[in-house]
Amino acid sequence: MVVNSIRERTIAENSMVVLLQGLQGEVTTVDLRDESSARGLVLNVDAFMNIRLKDVLFLDRRGQTAQLQDLFITGRNVRYVHIPDHVNIMKTMESQLAKIHRVRNFAGGGRKEFGGRKK
Amino acid sequence: MVLVRNLRPPTEGVRHEEANTTAVLSGQQLGCGTLYVAETRLSWFDGSGMGFSLEYPSISLHAISRDVSAYPEEHLYVMVNGKLGGEGEAEMTEKAAEEEDDDGSDSSNGDEEEVITEIRFVPRDKASLESMFSAMCECQALHPDPDDEDSDNDFEGEEYNVEEAEYGHADVPTFYTCDEGLSSLTQEGQATLERLEGMLAQSVAQQYHMAGVRTEETKAEFEDGMEVDAAVAEAGQFEDADVEH
Repeated sequence: MVVNSIRERTIAENSMVVLLQGLQGEVTTVDLRDESSARGLVLNVDAFMNIRLKDVLFLDRRGQTAQLQDLFITGRNVRYVHIPDHVNIMKTMESQLAKIHRVRNFAGGGRKEFGGRKK
Repeated sequence: MVLVRNLRPPTEGVRHEEANTTAVLSGQQLGCGTLYVAETRLSWFDGSGMGFSLEYPSISLHAISRDVSAYPEEHLYVMVNGKLGGEGEAEMTEKAAEEEDDDGSDSSNGDEEEVITEIRFVPRDKASLESMFSAMCECQALHPDPDDEDSDNDFEGEEYNVEEAEYGHADVPTFYTCDEGLSSLTQEGQATLERLEGMLAQSVAQQYHMAGVRTEETKAEFEDGMEVDAAVAEAGQFEDADVEH
């Protein structure tokens, strides 16, 4: 389901967004900058923190609720993403990074796609 | 975000076009028209040429609403940052909203008053909602936040060029690893690349079969990549080989 460009993979592995990407399949709450919130199943989080949720209960900033089948939140508007209590943060991040490295090393068995940082 | 008259609908990069779509702007019905989900902007026009256009960076979120208790018809809900006013007003209020955003993100009590506009696109054909939504997701992903200072995204061009390192030259590309190479791919090649990367990301260990989609430019690359064999060190080694499925 996730289509990662090389650029997105690189951005992701160097930021905490990998943790959010590891929440795929979890039900959680996303708080938006404008005080509204959305609780639903995480379908996808991309490197820019755009979040796709499914079967969402949306609480707008006025306190009204609405059910939304599919919701796409622009990364810029995310304030908090709640990490479910049962999620092991370190393990999630490690397994996400491992996935990235597996994809990268697949072609050519060991040749590194990315050699280092610019700065 | 602009409210205009006599602006023509986009002709390029239109990911989805939905006719017979009513637009409801901040609770106000604008009538029936056509929604254009294009890569550059989201637009809606009624039959008379009146319409409006939204820039993706101004869109906070979009969703499919099938909850008829919240709103009587199934629709595509779009929340826009800022206020969509009348002609001429729109630009000014957009700038004011941007300033408000900047202040809001710095102070903890400022964002409460962030102005938003709610737009509902109600298509006559409810079955189109999924495509409309997906098209918007794709286009939104094309416009990452330019103001994002937190992310250290400065990795352009730094990708390790294997060809260059191993053969001492990068001018005869048979294997691309960096963004430059990505732009050399044809659209079909790019689609193939994305599909394959997606498959790899799912599970490297899984057995899979390639559909017979090949392009001239990517042939060598994928022949090489398909061989899960650590002994393969030279790119282009299998250029002549039959494809194994």
